[in-house]
Amino acid sequence: MKNLIRAELLKLRTTRLFYGLAAAALAFAAINVISAMSTAGKSGGAPALSTGEGVRNVMSAGSSGTIIVLIIGILIMAAEFRHSTVTSTFLVSPKRGRVVSAKIVASVLVGAGIAIVAAALTLAISVPWLASKHIHVHILSHNVGVVLLGGIAAMTIYAAVGVGLGSLIRNQTAAVFVALAWVLVVESLLGGFVPEVGKWIPGGAAAALTGEANRAASNGLLPMWAGALLLVGYGVLFAVGGTRFTMRRDVS
Amino acid sequence: MTSIQINGLTKRFGNVVAVDNLSFEVAQGSITGFLGPNGAGKTTTLRMLLGLITPTAGSSTITGKPYQELVDPFRHVGAVLESTSFHPGRRARDHLRVLCIAAGLPVTRADEVLDEVGLTDVGDRRVKGFSLGMRQRLGLAAALLGEPEVLILDEPANGLDPEGVHWLRKFLRTYADQGRSVLVSSHLLAEMAQTVDDVVIIAKGRFVTQSSLADLADRTKPGVWVRTPQAEALRDALTAKGIAAELTTSETVMALETTTETVGIVAAGAGVVIFEMTSKHFDLEEYFLELTASTTDPITKGALR
Repeated sequence: MKNLIRAELLKLRTTRLFYGLAAAALAFAAINVISAMSTAGKSGGAPALSTGEGVRNVMSAGSSGTIIVLIIGILIMAAEFRHSTVTSTFLVSPKRGRVVSAKIVASVLVGAGIAIVAAALTLAISVPWLASKHIHVHILSHNVGVVLLGGIAAMTIYAAVGVGLGSLIRNQTAAVFVALAWVLVVESLLGGFVPEVGKWIPGGAAAALTGEANRAASNGLLPMWAGALLLVGYGVLFAVGGTRFTMRRDVS
Repeated sequence: MTSIQINGLTKRFGNVVAVDNLSFEVAQGSITGFLGPNGAGKTTTLRMLLGLITPTAGSSTITGKPYQELVDPFRHVGAVLESTSFHPGRRARDHLRVLCIAAGLPVTRADEVLDEVGLTDVGDRRVKGFSLGMRQRLGLAAALLGEPEVLILDEPANGLDPEGVHWLRKFLRTYADQGRSVLVSSHLLAEMAQTVDDVVIIAKGRFVTQSSLADLADRTKPGVWVRTPQAEALRDALTAKGIAAELTTSETVMALETTTETVGIVAAGAGVVIFEMTSKHFDLEEYFLELTASTTDPITKGALR
């Protein structure tokens, strides 16, 4: 099992797309943190930076690369089918459940790794910026640490959801399209207009986990612990579903 | 010793029966050609043997166990299935290293097998720049990583230039001469005739015949086919005259390496009535085509195996 996980990590490290996506996830974090700070306190914008809410809103922007991590998770599985490399993968390890488990573990490690770097980047950008406005924050003030940890957890779980999604949808392009459409269209519509449904979908759970200040204030998200449990539930659901589907599937 | 055993394998895709109750064995230390026209079910059979496709019925073993139950399968079986199964953006050596790690083999094996197949110089290139022939060699390199005792290749000559085919033949021969087994599929008998010891022929998903290549060549000798109500009497009369003859059905006789004149004279001497008689002449390729077109042996009609 340890060998299979190492092999999955090496697979990622030996393609350029992975580095591109990881860089994109970090760029997303940086851009969103900067934009959250620039718009804070303006009319129609997020709460002012001088408030605890405002600071938390900036920190939660650090996990905005979640969608990219989801795509990395999808690629870990779907790229194997796209390039038929799944044939040699299953020849090395004919016990397919172990292959999918190794992929889920690898995706969780990679997702957590990217999320931790994104959190560090968020602090590196926001702390000096805020200090220049005489707002002094550190990891323990205003629940900053909790928000950052929540973001790391959300990104990590999304990576595992991606592996499940990549197993369930055979076509890589279709899987990525479905993920993007879901997150960018369906979730934002549900979250914005039908919050009583929106808080129960994965995006709502992730928002609760990262303490996205805007939505927490106006729409009523689930409590943080419930969001965490719900998101873990989605992760397990997709991982188990993907594994079961992959077990039965003919590879030709 | 048997290295591959296939027992009644059947695979249905919807209403299509791709492989129909197929059984055969491959002996250790030989090169066996697995032959049949395109669509005969060769690839499906090999993929079932390797645990990639779940059979509708039947079972198969390699070195005594179903593939899924082999501990460290790469150390027992190497398989080259299709030339496109590489990530185009990954370097050749990295592709092999990934497999080494997953199989629990030392990563130095990657360099060793690159050398074995003559790809050392391009090991650091991304696979998307590889020709079909180079991909076939890389696939073979991957199959050799665990130094397996059984090698399975699906249409390995596809896309190879004549020099590549020659290289592959020599390679497989050396491999089998070390007491290891090779099962290699092809839709061309001619391509395999210089390489294989034995052949298994299938068509339309069904077993047609299995024999040594030498025996198969014997069956293609010119002969005379006779339909007669006294088949046994004719066979005995021909045999008494030193002419090789076999009953192919209860009403037909195949006499080998003789002429219609000779058979006619022998029949007259024995008082045998002849309804129909024709001389047969096959070359190996024609014979293969007839075999796979009718799915039953045109000479022996399956009576001899």
